[in-house]
Amino acid sequence: MARNLLAALLLFVALVLQVSVVNRLLFSWAPDLVLLTVAALATRRGPVPGAVIGFCGGLAYDLLPPSNHTLGQYALVLCALGYVAGRVGERVPLLAVAVCALVAPGMLAGLGALIGAPGVTWPVLATAWPRAAICNLVAAPLVLWAVKVTHGGHRRRAGGGELVPSYRRGTA
Amino acid sequence: MRDTRRARLTLGVLLAVALILITVDHRAGDNHVLGPVRDFAGAVFGKVERVGAAVTRPITGFVGMLRDAPSAQRAIADLRKENARLRDEVSAQRLDKGRAEKLDRMLGLAGLGRYRIVPAQVVARRTVAGFEDTVEIDAGTGDGIRPDMTVLSDAGLVGRVVQTGPAGSTVALLSDPALSAGARLEGGNELGVVSGLGEAGGGGNLIRFRLLDSTVPIGVGRRIVSFGSQQSKPYVPGVPIGVVERVDNTPGEVTRTAYARPFTDFSALDVVGVVVAAPKRDPRDAVLPAKPPPPKPPREDQRRGDDGRGQGRTSLEAEWGLGDRGRGGGDESRATTERQAREGRPEAAPERRGRHGTQAVDGEQYAQEPRAREQDAQEPRAREQDAQEPHAQEAPAAHERPAAVEPRNAPRQHDGAAADDARGGRN
Repeated sequence: MARNLLAALLLFVALVLQVSVVNRLLFSWAPDLVLLTVAALATRRGPVPGAVIGFCGGLAYDLLPPSNHTLGQYALVLCALGYVAGRVGERVPLLAVAVCALVAPGMLAGLGALIGAPGVTWPVLATAWPRAAICNLVAAPLVLWAVKVTHGGHRRRAGGGELVPSYRRGTA
Repeated sequence: MRDTRRARLTLGVLLAVALILITVDHRAGDNHVLGPVRDFAGAVFGKVERVGAAVTRPITGFVGMLRDAPSAQRAIADLRKENARLRDEVSAQRLDKGRAEKLDRMLGLAGLGRYRIVPAQVVARRTVAGFEDTVEIDAGTGDGIRPDMTVLSDAGLVGRVVQTGPAGSTVALLSDPALSAGARLEGGNELGVVSGLGEAGGGGNLIRFRLLDSTVPIGVGRRIVSFGSQQSKPYVPGVPIGVVERVDNTPGEVTRTAYARPFTDFSALDVVGVVVAAPKRDPRDAVLPAKPPPPKPPREDQRRGDDGRGQGRTSLEAEWGLGDRGRGGGDESRATTERQAREGRPEAAPERRGRHGTQAVDGEQYAQEPRAREQDAQEPRAREQDAQEPHAQEAPAAHERPAAVEPRNAPRQHDGAAADDARGGRN
C-alpha cells in the first residue's frame, strides 16, 4: 500500500514538475518526465502494476490543465508502455526506460494522427520526434536513479522473489 | 503474476478503457461529455501547479537567467546606453529648470527695478588671475546690446558690457580688478565705489567698497546698491551689489574701505540679463532682496541729480580739497588727487585699463587742481562732467590714446575741451 502511495506521489510530483518547471524552462527541449517516471516505476514493479501506473499517470497527464488533446491518449500509450517496461525492465531497466523514451513520442504522435489531431505531419514529426527522443534519453538515467532512490530496493513481490538471494528468501 | 491471464486481462481492460475514453472524448467533440472530469482535474491540478510554480519560481528565474544570459548581455549594454541617454536628458532638464528659475528670478528683479533686460546665457569665461575676469554671453548687437550696458543676474549686479559682437558680447565682471562702479549704502545716500579685487579677494569673491565719507559708519551686514551713472551708462541705478562683510578701519584715510560679498555668485554665472533700458526713476533700495533689513531711517526721496545730493557731495569734496591742500603739492599730492579721481566719481566707474584708461584719470587730476582752489559752487557741476567724461565720449578716447604718454599739460587742455563738449551736449 505504501508503495502504491509512493508511486502515486512520485507521479504527482513528476506531473507538477513537468508543467510548472520543466516545460516552462526548456520549452520544446523538455523531456517527458511523466513518461520516464511511469517507465521507471514499471521497471521496479512489474508489468501489471506498470500498466496500471501508466494508465493512471497517463490519465492524470491528460487531465492536467494546460491540455488540448483528446482525453485518454496518454493513458493508452503509457498503459501499454508501462506493461512493456514491466516486462522488459525486470532485467535491463535502463534499456526498457530508454526504449520507452524513444518510442513514446512517436506513439503519441501516431495516435494523435489516427484521431485526426491537427498539426501532426511528417515534417513536424521528423524534427519533433528525434528532439523529444534525445531529451528523454538524456533525462532517463536521472529519472531512473531518482525512482530507485525514492522507491527503495528491487521489486520483491512482482517477480516472486527470484532475484532475492537464496539466503534471504525466507526472510523477504 | 507474469503473463497470467489476469495480467493480460488487466492490461486489456486498461487499454480498452483508454481507447473508450479516447473515442468518447473524440466523438463528443464540443459536447464535453467528460467536461466535469476535466473541470475537477483542472481545479485540483491548477491549485497544485500554482503552489509548485510559486515554490519553484526561484529555480525558474535562475534557469531563465542562465538561458537569457547571452541576450541579457546585449540587453544590459542597450539598457546602459539608454540609461546614460536618459540620465543626460534628466540632467539637461534639471539644468534647464535651474536656468528657467534663474531667468524667472532675474526677470523678477528686473521687474522690481523696472529695467528692460535682454536675457543672455554665459557661454564662456576667461579668468586671468588678478588681471581679468570676463565672461562671454550669447547676445550681441543683434539683440540690441551696446557697450557699456549693465549686466545683472537673478541676484544682483554682474558687471558691464565692454565689447559687443553681432551674436556675442564680452562682459567684465564686477570681480574684475579693473572694474569699478558707483555704489550707495542701502537706505541712505552715503556714496562709495565698489571695485573688484580679483585674486586679491582671497578667493572669497569679495569686492572692495570705498566709502567717500570716512566719518560715516559702515555696519557689517549693510547692503550696497548701484548708484547709477550718467544716462545710466554703464550702470543703471538701484541694482543690488552685495553685503558688507568686513570693514577696515583706516584712521587718517580720506576714504573708508569695506569689503562686501556680492549677491551674485561669480563662479556660477549662468543666466544673466543685459539692461537695455534704464528705469525712468531710480528704484533706490526696492530691488534689494527681501532679507530682514536693518531699520532704515526715513529719508526724503533723493533722486539722482537732485540738489540734496549735490550739496552732500559738495561738502565731501570740500573736505578732500582741504585734505589735498594740507598735504601740499608734489608727487604726494598727485597720488592723493589721483586716488580721489578714482574714488571720487561714483557714477563714473573709471576703468584704469583699456581704452579710456589712464589718460582719463590724469585728465581729471589736472582738471581738479584749479578747482581745488576755487572750490564750492563750481565743484558739483564739474564733478559731474568729469564723471561723465570717460563714458560720454568713447570716440575721443580712441584718438586720445597717444595723449597718455604726453606731458601733463597737453591732456589738460584736451580735457577742458572735452568737459566743455560734454557740458554743451548735456545742456
